Amino acid sequence: MDKRINYRDFSMLIALVLIAAYFYSQDAHFLSARNLAQLGIELSATAVLGLGMLIVILPGHIDLSVGSGVGLIGAVAAVLVVGHEWSALPALGVSTLLSVLLYTAMGFIIIKERVPAFIITLGGLLVFKGVHWLVIASETVPVAPGGSENAYSRLTTYYLSNAAGYGLGALCIAGIGFFVWRGHQRRTARSLASDGELLFLRWFLSAQVILLFVLVMNQYKGVPLAAVLLGVVALAVHVLLQQTRLGRYLYAIGGNEEAAVVAGVPVERVVIGAFALMGLIVALAGFLQTAFGGATTTTTGQLMELDAIAACVIGGTSLKGGRGTVVGVLFGALIMAMLLNGMTLLAVTPEQKFIARGLVLALAVWMDVRLSQSRGA
Amino acid sequence: MPSPILEARSLTKRYPGVLALDGVAFSLFEREVHALCGENGAGKSTLIKVLGGVLGHDTYEGELRLGGSPVAFRTIRDAEAAGIAVIHQELALVDEMSIAENVFLGNEPSRFGIIDHDRMIDRAREVLARVRLDVDPGRRVRELGMGQKQLVEIARALAKNARILILDEPTSALSDREVETLLGIIRELRSGGVSCVYISHKLDEVFSLADRITVLRDGQTVFSVARADTDEASIVEHMVGRRVDELFPPATGGSGEVLLGVEKLCAPPLLVDISFELRRGEVLGIGGLMGAGRSELLMHLFGCFGERLSGEVRFRGAAYDTRRPPRNVARGLVLVTEDRKRYGLNLDASVGFNLSLSALPALSRFGFVDSDRELEQNRAMVGSLSVKAASLDVRVGTLSGGNQQKVVLGRALMTEPQVVMLDEPTRGIDIGAKSEIYALIRELTARGLGVILVSSELPELLGLADRILMLSEGHMGGMFQAAAATQADLLRSAMAKRAVATENDAHG
Repeated sequence: MDKRINYRDFSMLIALVLIAAYFYSQDAHFLSARNLAQLGIELSATAVLGLGMLIVILPGHIDLSVGSGVGLIGAVAAVLVVGHEWSALPALGVSTLLSVLLYTAMGFIIIKERVPAFIITLGGLLVFKGVHWLVIASETVPVAPGGSENAYSRLTTYYLSNAAGYGLGALCIAGIGFFVWRGHQRRTARSLASDGELLFLRWFLSAQVILLFVLVMNQYKGVPLAAVLLGVVALAVHVLLQQTRLGRYLYAIGGNEEAAVVAGVPVERVVIGAFALMGLIVALAGFLQTAFGGATTTTTGQLMELDAIAACVIGGTSLKGGRGTVVGVLFGALIMAMLLNGMTLLAVTPEQKFIARGLVLALAVWMDVRLSQSRGA
Repeated sequence: MPSPILEARSLTKRYPGVLALDGVAFSLFEREVHALCGENGAGKSTLIKVLGGVLGHDTYEGELRLGGSPVAFRTIRDAEAAGIAVIHQELALVDEMSIAENVFLGNEPSRFGIIDHDRMIDRAREVLARVRLDVDPGRRVRELGMGQKQLVEIARALAKNARILILDEPTSALSDREVETLLGIIRELRSGGVSCVYISHKLDEVFSLADRITVLRDGQTVFSVARADTDEASIVEHMVGRRVDELFPPATGGSGEVLLGVEKLCAPPLLVDISFELRRGEVLGIGGLMGAGRSELLMHLFGCFGERLSGEVRFRGAAYDTRRPPRNVARGLVLVTEDRKRYGLNLDASVGFNLSLSALPALSRFGFVDSDRELEQNRAMVGSLSVKAASLDVRVGTLSGGNQQKVVLGRALMTEPQVVMLDEPTRGIDIGAKSEIYALIRELTARGLGVILVSSELPELLGLADRILMLSEGHMGGMFQAAAATQADLLRSAMAKRAVATENDAHG
């Protein structure tokens, strides 16, 4: 809701810088263009899934099935491509449709039959996992036949050319500038308060960040397609939450569902819609995650639901609903992805990785609780 | 004159942008009931928070003295240890636990950490006897009525050896009989040596109970007097800072189109055979005792209570499905519920967010909210209802009760409705905000809207409504022209069904 860069986002930024600084001090490769591009691709699936989770958590629900969903949907597409020799795009389309149907159905059961989302999606976690293994007959299925490339595999291997990267960056900067400027004009025309200086400063800062990103990425192979997709999803979800009726309703239901009913919010449709969107996002995250691994195996997507929830929670999303932002979730996902990437770089054992990620999650939430208490008093 | 057992000197408390207390002085003597009056936002709640230790001593300026010596409470526990207990308007009982467990919550009689249940029950019985509550301490609190719950709260305070009770609007949810019981118990406690700070909007209670009365306005003590030396009019005058002559503006009377027609409506589990019409420009009052089905009737018409079994409900002549709240809002039927916190507001969200929530369909195109237009309309609504808030961006939970109620009303009005259903719109708000809401209701009917007003206060129904429908255990007890009805008529019909039922029982 709050349009200013708030205190919380700022503290996350500091945490991010500290983590980056630590890994950089241990291994200078951490901030190399190559590793950052790698990080961007790794991040994309988790962050996209985290944004979907945000949409479901805002109205006070949860989705534990998304990890298995990612595995299942990625596998269905892979089997269609490799086993049934479909071309990649129709395979991705049909799997996406399947995903939306599955998640809409879960939303329907949760709302109409009043079974808690926790239970239904826990059931989904197990069922999807089982179906995933059936679909691939518990074997490894690549996303493209015999080492070739297709639209599916390119999701995580395609990089924009340097020129295209700069072009896209410029387009983003111009686009943001245009919308900021138009909003400012409109508000001024209606004599509503609008701080032009602040708006310009924010636009200028975003422009710097975008430019820096493109510059660094172009030092390696260019801007990864996966990162572009993440950007598109993040922007879409941000607009959805901040500018649309559906977004307002998501916050309203999470804040006080009974009050939302009395206010005339179509609670049932909104929540089912949230799960349908989750289906769309699970499909995309499934394709990204599976393409990233190059193939679907029995462990693809495993525990991703927890990473998605962790990204939300670290990003300041309230599990009770009604509070959370896209920027927060992106920060949360970035912190988790950076930790994983950095620890891999330092050859930390898997056992220690689990422990470290768990501790960071607990620490982040504890600090959030402490900070919001001290501000509340 | 003896020295006060509790004294506050020049208390000043600042919140960002608001001076909540501005040099307030307050004193309480032993065996005294001291009533605290004031409009919402006058600083009563803040004063209680200071006295009860909710606000630590370092968050405000001024001095607190207990029995003549200065004290500094850091937490609620400190205040409780000093013998001060606050009983808030929203009761803090755990519904699923037994009465005894609630009474000793956080304070359980135990040995080596194991709770001694027998001793707990025994001691609970003792304190419950002091508040004359004759129920089994092992029963769940959920099974008790509001009045009994209130007494359990007091028992809990007594179990902690409180010598000073601070009661915040203790009677706002109680029936008349329960109020009488409560006032009697407070008198008894007073003769037993307990002092009370009593906060209420109901001046008749204040005058029947208090020894002294202090009026706060805008964070200052404007009036402090022995009860015998003042009268209700003068207290009200000090509360609002001006004379309130005409509380109820004159009625205009409804005529013309029937907006809402209800015929032989039956909706289990409560509503049986209800028929009425609401015309343009009319206020239809609905009265009845607790549990008579008043709120349930409104919620059914709005679409969130009960299945309709038989009968018909028409909106401007066309039958409508009573199970679709969003469609009903779009149609022009809005509901302002009684329990603002539970059914009314998203307390963590901003004033603006809450205000525009119902009107979003009109404020958006292709699903995108036009935030500039939204801002304009929110501002206009805040202005026309004179909501006191620092800005549209403040959390609505930080506003006073009266202003929260205005936000709920504003949200309903922003949809440009035809029929406004108000459930106890003035409950727990002060007389100044009340008269504003009365004036607003008149303004709505003058604009041709129909208003259904549910109220427990018979004078409010008689003063505002054109016609009054009395409900009795879900049945129609009677329909009255307000101009020709008396309080006695209304009460009799509110109990009509019961009387019949008892007669039948006697015959059977």
